Amino acid sequence: MSDIAITSILIFSLFAILASGVWIGLTLSGVAWIAMQLFSSRAAGDAMAVTTWGSSSSWTLTALPLFVWMGEILFRTKLSESMFKGLAPWVSRLPGGLLHTNVIGCTIFAAVSGSSAATCATIGKMTLPELKRRGYPDDITIGSLAGAGTLGLLIPPSIIMIVYGVTADVSIAKLFIAGVFPGLLLASLFSGYLVVWALMNPGKIPPPDAGMSFGAKVYESRHLIPVVLLIGAVLGSIYTGIATATEAAAIGVVGSLVLSVVQRSMSWTVFKESLMGATRLYCMIALILAGAAFLTLSMGYIGLPRHLAEFVSSLGLSPFVLILALTLFYVLLGCFLDGISMVVLTMGVILPIVQAAKLDLIWFGIFVVIVVEMAQITPPVGFNLFVLQGMTKREITYIAKVTLPFFLLMCVMVLLLWFFPGIATWLPGKM
Amino acid sequence: MMRKFLDALYDGAATLAALFMVLLLVMVLLSIVGRELGFYVRGTDAYAGYFMAAAGFLALAHTLKKGEHIRVTLLLNAVKGRYKKAIEIWALAAAVALSALFAYYSVKLSVNSFQFNDVSTGTDATPLWIPQISMGLGAVVLLIAFIDELVLELLGKRADASSDEMLHNE
Repeated sequence: MSDIAITSILIFSLFAILASGVWIGLTLSGVAWIAMQLFSSRAAGDAMAVTTWGSSSSWTLTALPLFVWMGEILFRTKLSESMFKGLAPWVSRLPGGLLHTNVIGCTIFAAVSGSSAATCATIGKMTLPELKRRGYPDDITIGSLAGAGTLGLLIPPSIIMIVYGVTADVSIAKLFIAGVFPGLLLASLFSGYLVVWALMNPGKIPPPDAGMSFGAKVYESRHLIPVVLLIGAVLGSIYTGIATATEAAAIGVVGSLVLSVVQRSMSWTVFKESLMGATRLYCMIALILAGAAFLTLSMGYIGLPRHLAEFVSSLGLSPFVLILALTLFYVLLGCFLDGISMVVLTMGVILPIVQAAKLDLIWFGIFVVIVVEMAQITPPVGFNLFVLQGMTKREITYIAKVTLPFFLLMCVMVLLLWFFPGIATWLPGKM
Repeated sequence: MMRKFLDALYDGAATLAALFMVLLLVMVLLSIVGRELGFYVRGTDAYAGYFMAAAGFLALAHTLKKGEHIRVTLLLNAVKGRYKKAIEIWALAAAVALSALFAYYSVKLSVNSFQFNDVSTGTDATPLWIPQISMGLGAVVLLIAFIDELVLELLGKRADASSDEMLHNE
């Protein structure tokens, strides 16, 4: 049988099995096992066990469960409440008013959380009811929250960056630092859009509360101190090179435990819930990662990535067209798959193509994170949409519709990243 | 009786998993403190890896029971009644087969490592069959949990696994 036929059969069966509701991690291992059994002479079962063990016990990955745990702890603290108190006085007089608490809140929380859905849920828990009570329109409130929540992935720490770093064999610390500027830039695009929207729709934004003196504003900002300290400890230790990503994650877990004890939101039950929640969430990711590691190995035996890379380079696409094509591909894939599955499933095949096109792997990592962010808000499968569906009880199509402007801003971000690659590569180059 | 035993099995494994999660944290902290204070604990990196693996594998069944392992539910949500049941049975049967495969080879890996006396290449020099037990054990418990789910589905007693907890995933 020709390579093309083998490849098409495998890809087709992979998607058919996935679509029929078989658990993602198991499907990846299963398809990999069948492929290896049929098309290579190596003992597939033993290879599966060795690969699964190797990928699940690798030291580089240990940052992941720890950052997951940190997020679970912070989700259960009063952090979002105190952040709202600290931010509201500063933004209430800007055009767009308290809508900016969504964007700035998510930006700040993203710097201590590795996940976009957690960012969205934690900030939304506070801002959705507050903004509704003050009469802000639902459309823009929900849309800006869904869009800004995705910053959880781009601004370090980031679960998806760890996954990409492990898969692509790139320094996780460098990826984290590379995400800082693109994250801030995307946040400014979001805030800028809110300002423009507010100026074009006067009267839709309720009037601000009575003004506060500058001193009072500064005094209210004391609520931001805990989160700023935590960001400093985690990102500071990575950037200065004191700690590896894993060590920074451990520091982050301890820091969030301390923070929640100080805020008096810690109890034995809360501790247990955060620990079990983190264990389950990590376990879910670990199953997918293990399956993907084996699938990558198996595909390597068949030579699929190499063939595809040769095919793509034979097309003679310019790198720019390649990136546009990949963006389209990931946006489509993101409609049906979650971000982590999307990255681990495709990297084995895409990386050789990217390397052949001589693109920088750190830069490409940031690109991947942004397209995965877009996937979080594309229906019918998008985690941020699910989160907001749960919180607002609205239809997922409605949420997707009000989030569309923010989706388009992310497309603009991809273009900016292409034309000014330094946005991502300058800061890690200084490390 | 059987129900109680199975639930205790999943919860017991999950509790162990959580314990390993705490040990992972302790191990990483130990290596930081060790470096700052100038003492060296051998093999902390490797142990951190083993603990992480144990935390992941031992929680597999519990995570499944809580409905937190992700799957593509587009089709499942689109159909109703006996079609839905048929698809669920197919998915569960496939999962039983795949997890049986995974369980068999995971146990075999540990047994092989023991027979061939495989030792970690890192500074920890751990005999590998010991940490690999967590994978075999976790995979076997996962297999039991999938069989359990399949039987419940066939009997029409399976609770809907969709969970709000999914909400803050990823």
